[in-house]
Amino acid sequence: MDAERGYHDGRVPLPGSGDDDRAGQIPTRRDGIRQARRMTNWTAAALIVGTGAAAVALAHQALPAAGSAAGTAASAGTSAGRTGTSAGQAGTNTQGASGPQVTHSVATTTASGVTVTTTTRTVNGKTVVTQVRHAPAHADD
Amino acid sequence: MTTSALELITVAPWQRVWTGDDSVAVAERDALGTTARVAVWPPEDLAVACAATDDVLSALDLQASRFRADSELSWLHAAGGGLFLLGDGLAEALGVALAAARWTGGLVDPTVGDALIALGYDRDFAAIESVRGEPSAAPVPAPGWRLVRLDGPLLQLPAGVRLDLGATAKGLGSDRAVWAVLAATGQVGGVLVSLGGDIAVGGTPPRDGWPITVAEEPAQAGSPRSQLVRLACGAVATSSVTCRRWRRGGTVLHHIVDPRTGRPADGPWQTVSAAAATCADANAAATAAIVAGPQAEDWLTAAGLPARLVGHDGEVRCLGGWPTASGYPLPTTPVSHVYTGAWIPRGRR
Repeated sequence: MDAERGYHDGRVPLPGSGDDDRAGQIPTRRDGIRQARRMTNWTAAALIVGTGAAAVALAHQALPAAGSAAGTAASAGTSAGRTGTSAGQAGTNTQGASGPQVTHSVATTTASGVTVTTTTRTVNGKTVVTQVRHAPAHADD
Repeated sequence: MTTSALELITVAPWQRVWTGDDSVAVAERDALGTTARVAVWPPEDLAVACAATDDVLSALDLQASRFRADSELSWLHAAGGGLFLLGDGLAEALGVALAAARWTGGLVDPTVGDALIALGYDRDFAAIESVRGEPSAAPVPAPGWRLVRLDGPLLQLPAGVRLDLGATAKGLGSDRAVWAVLAATGQVGGVLVSLGGDIAVGGTPPRDGWPITVAEEPAQAGSPRSQLVRLACGAVATSSVTCRRWRRGGTVLHHIVDPRTGRPADGPWQTVSAAAATCADANAAATAAIVAGPQAEDWLTAAGLPARLVGHDGEVRCLGGWPTASGYPLPTTPVSHVYTGAWIPRGRR
């Protein structure tokens, strides 16, 4: 009788399948718990991997949001954070795919100031250096 | 400055400039009668960048200076007109100047040489006597850029036409220097070159762009009337009647000449800054706007260029997306008008 041999679902193990060893065993409460625990482990592993991947992706996007991508800032016409790539190198606060953070003005676009013209003449074998300095603008008007 | 066969022009040494950031290196020196500045990252590229810039500036001076007797341009003038085979450098410089004249409808014109001489700007500006009692000569309108025929390096220059490339040469120099620095550094990092306030940038800019001060005069940088902008690509240039002024016979003159009259431009704007794809474009546009006077806004709008105009009364007008507040990026267009319309020697780019 199947019922007597424990084949409640009507399945009969093939010879040599190993299930023969279980022949006669009745699925117990412990088998159910084991299966549930196995499922839980897989779910937890998937959650851990997913959370890690999401954290990496978010961190990757968050870094360049502080600055603009090379070459695109000027054409956009706005100053808010742009996406791009950045790979700060260890030990420096610069470099990577985008340039360094520069906060102070490095040059001035302005009317052409006139500075000093330096000329060197050779007169009778002697070197004569002349410097002509000009004031930037005449303030007499 | 008049030169002689015995005279040598020395190259001023570069001086390091501390701007407040370790991540970029900045150096400055006198050049072409004004100031050249190089900013570069990574900082260790500074020496290479300065050397590349030196080569560019020396070559440009020897090609296009109106004040050096040994320049190629002076040699053309001394020949008194005719048919010439130019060197590549001067051919490009003149080609850019003629393309700028075509683009601006003649508002900038390289044939203003005699007009400037008549006003007294006949030598390096530092050597001009700033105040003289006698009036300047009668104004000489420019004969017109259309008289100058340039076919590649072949130039036909009418007798009596004297060229001045001042409206585009500094911008061209900044562009050339940026290209030279990028070539010398292997396109790694980024560079900014300023020639007398006409600024070009290249390579990878700092995050948010290069911080640049916009001011009417060099001494005004940092004052409340100045503005900080950020430039990630392209160029920005400023033309103004507040500098390079002199007095003749009680009249104050300046170096921006209206080619149509031969007189200093006398429109409502005393300073115009413009951003463009290249510094030669920006340089030409800013000067054209000063000369255009009341039509400056229309011309700049039609050209599609961001610009900042300052009137004689201090009124500031921002056009074409030029930011009205400090700290914002300058929009620039990717299209150059002066290089696409000029002959460029093979291998120059």
